[in-house]
Amino acid sequence: MTPAGPDGAASVADQLRAFLASATGRDELRHVPPGTALFGTAVGLDSLTGTLLLREIQRRFGVDVAGEDLNLDSLATLGTLAAFVAQRARPDAAGP
Amino acid sequence: MTREGPVKCVVWDIDNTLLTGIYLESGEQPPGADPVLAAVLAELGERGILHALASKNPPEAAAHTARVTGWRFAAAECGWGRKSDALARIAATLGIAVDALAFVDDDPYERAEVGFALPGVLVLSPEEAAEAAGWPEFSPPVITAEARRRGEMYAERQRRQAAGRSFGGTRAEFLETAGTRVTIAAAAAADVPRLHELAVRTRQFNSAAGPAGAGMTQDWFRDLLAARDSDVVTVRLCDAFGDDGMVGGCVIARDAGTWTVPLLMMSCRAMGRGVIDAVLAWLARQAARAGARALRVPCVVNDRNVPLRLALAAAGFRVPGAPGAGDAVSSGQAPAMYTHDLAPPLPGLPGWVSAPGERDGGAA
Repeated sequence: MTPAGPDGAASVADQLRAFLASATGRDELRHVPPGTALFGTAVGLDSLTGTLLLREIQRRFGVDVAGEDLNLDSLATLGTLAAFVAQRARPDAAGP
Repeated sequence: MTREGPVKCVVWDIDNTLLTGIYLESGEQPPGADPVLAAVLAELGERGILHALASKNPPEAAAHTARVTGWRFAAAECGWGRKSDALARIAATLGIAVDALAFVDDDPYERAEVGFALPGVLVLSPEEAAEAAGWPEFSPPVITAEARRRGEMYAERQRRQAAGRSFGGTRAEFLETAGTRVTIAAAAAADVPRLHELAVRTRQFNSAAGPAGAGMTQDWFRDLLAARDSDVVTVRLCDAFGDDGMVGGCVIARDAGTWTVPLLMMSCRAMGRGVIDAVLAWLARQAARAGARALRVPCVVNDRNVPLRLALAAAGFRVPGAPGAGDAVSSGQAPAMYTHDLAPPLPGLPGWVSAPGERDGGAA
């Protein structure tokens, strides 16, 4: 386990923003604030983009969000998801 | 993973498999189609099984193979990488599970590589493939109008995806621009074969997938159509790119105070097109109008139906008393009871959804 510091979560959040922007083709998603609801209209995460996002998180950070959070409450906002992932990220699955 | 369920797509090698020779070694006159396997392509295609190509050749070989077999392939991977990687990309492109693929190649080395890397794939030699039309894996129990059009619909899907990628706006805006129409309606007897097909074929959006759904036979649906306290509902989808026909359905058990949905299912072809969200929003609105205070969707939890769980979470469903984040989710157990509290405000429904109880095309 890597230490769950604010830096870790911020870096995860940046990577999630970049992924969402490229998966949806919407460049403005590179700038969403951490408190933005993922399922709300601003990001509009649906089952398709959500599945792609969870697959990317598993690949990049080694965290199985759907396997550890039945209600997927960690997907409430960009910030809650980044914190959830940063706390559990495996150092050997670190991203770029 | 081991094989379960029918084959949805056959991935074919080209050289000495679909063609009677080697494309790059035949000079001016590329080889023709193997007549036996060309007939297998057509026979399986009639049953709604897709075909794709994976070949160590330039892309022109795929175009030539399509020409001489007369077949429009749903996907083609031409290159010199590993065939197991090509199969994984084909499954992702088509939105189906890797273990719903079969793979046909004359080269035993390629068959071994795919069989080792992807143990869920049914691996066949051309000789075996010639016999395969008689095998249960290639014999879906029912063949519906949707199944016969499946190959065509994947081509429409590729055009829709290309348009979506270059669109730039939100997904909701794209659905509106594409002329999306979702029609939710009470099922009739003629809908039963397709409802049953969806119940046995869908994995990513099926609340009862696996053993829990084993009893959902055509007779089960017919009994429900006649039952007074149940509704069977069909969901159809079309847009400017094509008509997908019936892509989903659900069963509703009405009880005073609580509506329960023992089966909710959707074809993964409709993924990302607003269908599952529309169905969940309509269910909440319809249950609330009937005076229910809660809407429940018992959902088997496994690693395949994460897309359905995402849709339920996005629609505001929660599992009361679920372990907190961080406790491992146990799969294969009793279904988790996803519950939506029906206190106002009720979810809105886009104007392109028509459904019972919604006036004028369901405008919210």
